[in-house]
Amino acid sequence: MEAWWQCEIPYPFVDQKILDASDSVRAVLPNRLCDPKIAANLFEEVLDEFLLCDDLGMNVICIEHHAGINSLIGSNPLVTGMLARQTRKVRLLSLGTLISLRQDPVRVAEEYATADVVMRGRFDIGFVKSGGTEFASANANPVNNEERYWEAIDLVTKTLTSHDGPFSWEGKHYTHRHVNIWPGPYQHPHPPMWAATGDPRSAAEVGRRGMRHVLVLRGPEGTKRAYDAHRKARAEAGLPRVTTDNFAYAALVYVGDTDEEGIEVGSKLLWFLNTSLKSAPQFNRFLPGGAPPQAAPGLYRTKPKADAGLNMANAEKGVTTASQNAQKLMSITAPEAMRQGILFAGSPDSVYRQVMEFYDQVGGFGHLCLVGRSGFMTHEESKKSIRLFSKEVMPRLQEIRPVEVG
Amino acid sequence: MPNESDTPRTDMIVVHGVEMEVLRHGTGQPMLFLHGFQHVDPSAYFLYLLGRRAEVIAPSHPGFGASARPKDFESIYDVLNLYAAFLEALPHPKVTLIGSSFGGWLAAELAVRSCARIERLVLVDALGIKVSDRETPDILDVFNTHPATVKAAMWHEEAKAPDLDAMTDEQLIKRHRNWESLALYGWNPYMHNPRLSYWLPRISVPTLVLWGASDRIVKPSYGEAYAARIPGARFALIEGAGHHPEIEQPDSFAEHVLGFLSR
Repeated sequence: MEAWWQCEIPYPFVDQKILDASDSVRAVLPNRLCDPKIAANLFEEVLDEFLLCDDLGMNVICIEHHAGINSLIGSNPLVTGMLARQTRKVRLLSLGTLISLRQDPVRVAEEYATADVVMRGRFDIGFVKSGGTEFASANANPVNNEERYWEAIDLVTKTLTSHDGPFSWEGKHYTHRHVNIWPGPYQHPHPPMWAATGDPRSAAEVGRRGMRHVLVLRGPEGTKRAYDAHRKARAEAGLPRVTTDNFAYAALVYVGDTDEEGIEVGSKLLWFLNTSLKSAPQFNRFLPGGAPPQAAPGLYRTKPKADAGLNMANAEKGVTTASQNAQKLMSITAPEAMRQGILFAGSPDSVYRQVMEFYDQVGGFGHLCLVGRSGFMTHEESKKSIRLFSKEVMPRLQEIRPVEVG
Repeated sequence: MPNESDTPRTDMIVVHGVEMEVLRHGTGQPMLFLHGFQHVDPSAYFLYLLGRRAEVIAPSHPGFGASARPKDFESIYDVLNLYAAFLEALPHPKVTLIGSSFGGWLAAELAVRSCARIERLVLVDALGIKVSDRETPDILDVFNTHPATVKAAMWHEEAKAPDLDAMTDEQLIKRHRNWESLALYGWNPYMHNPRLSYWLPRISVPTLVLWGASDRIVKPSYGEAYAARIPGARFALIEGAGHHPEIEQPDSFAEHVLGFLSR
């Protein structure tokens, strides 16, 4: 099993009274609440943490979110570019430029190819479907987002794998009639591709495409269901079986010297769920194209009798929507998060055991993504966990080789 | 209140392969009503009032009410071509075209293309054009604004707003689907065509621009600017109404419209 460390570089230093008074902590808070001097310190600390991971042999992940206290990384390609040069050994996963929000996927492919060349092939490309407030921030239509997502991935792939001069793309959502990037990517045919998605329909598509499938904070049930949908779709399409290397799971992770320390400091990661997910109904329940129309009775009614519609929609989709998932996570406590496989925290032995319990529950996965720093966790606390994890937990996880499953 | 025989009829018809729900009511001059954010409620009182003097034809846009939305429908371009076909398919050589809100945008677009099938035009709190400077939005962003704020801007008297708790599951499901279709067509540029204003002088039929005096989705001054760009258009305010005068002040609304027909 491979380990990947990530930090979204949250900005938690906004007065709680302001956060309580706002109906959303993303998209709407004025940026005068974000002191650039504090932001600079945060970037410096976290970029150093990425470099510490590089020293210790742990891969790193660079994400993207816009205009909120949850993350200062509004430009994934920019930070990816910094890490491409400053890291020297480990692999870097961009997870990812929010591709369906960009006007031109060719430009993103061009940036990614350059990153891969600078890194001499240490680069992985991840695609995230995006959601909620991001549509407001990017002025992007939420209704046909999923269609744009897949078409953009097709166009990025075609751009990265074309080496014989300009080609033309006149698709439903993107047109670019003279595509010819220099340089192409270092890896052939292209860097490994990941997709972060939870619902069975897109999980099946991830499976058919053979992308690495990452589930974020979904817990054992939702994760297993998505992995199963991935395998089932491949079997139905007559495609070869895949190993656990196709599957990844992202959880909040903190390692301390003792269980007490690990859980106490690890609990700070819950800020991500308790505080940074707060989002107004227009970005959430009522987001057009978010919940399917069948869910409407549960979304619109203010009085009971409400659940009929939601249950119907869930039965149809097989899992809760991302926004329902978020609602559930906002009020979670540390023991509950640990029970649900959302937080792995404690001593090195305990964290290893928790990871492996989860591994068994979902039928195995080949990549653990650690959301390792969030909220008010300090630089020192974060570095301590990175060191302990890299030295005490990672070597044991690396012994677990990919196996064919399902 | 209207009796049983006054109940609007709902037909499903097929236009260019698209199944469309069409409400019909009354007899008299043919009148095509293009709805706003939500499809027309068959029990809406303004239908009965207009139906006394006119044959009201009120289709649900593709993706609204019970009308289908073909998978590849992507923009207002598709909706407009569908309505051009719809107009041609009507047995009437000409109709009075009424467009409310989002439907007002559609009506204005249809009229600048051709008035051959249009006798008269009525725009009611219509969207569709850019009036103010580039940093002043003309139309409240109903998607990125808190629903309570949108509701307050929509109605003169919030008590007139539909009671969502009283709606059936089916009605709420349609409502959310309407919302999704509206976003698909109107997300960007938001609820307008930057070029439409330039072409409004092409409208060559008698035009009435009606506006709810309390509309804060799109203010009366926007309606005045709309009317000023259409040759000979008259502008009239309806007091005690927000974005939907046809619902909040149906009597006054019908009086204005029917009065305009007989001018």
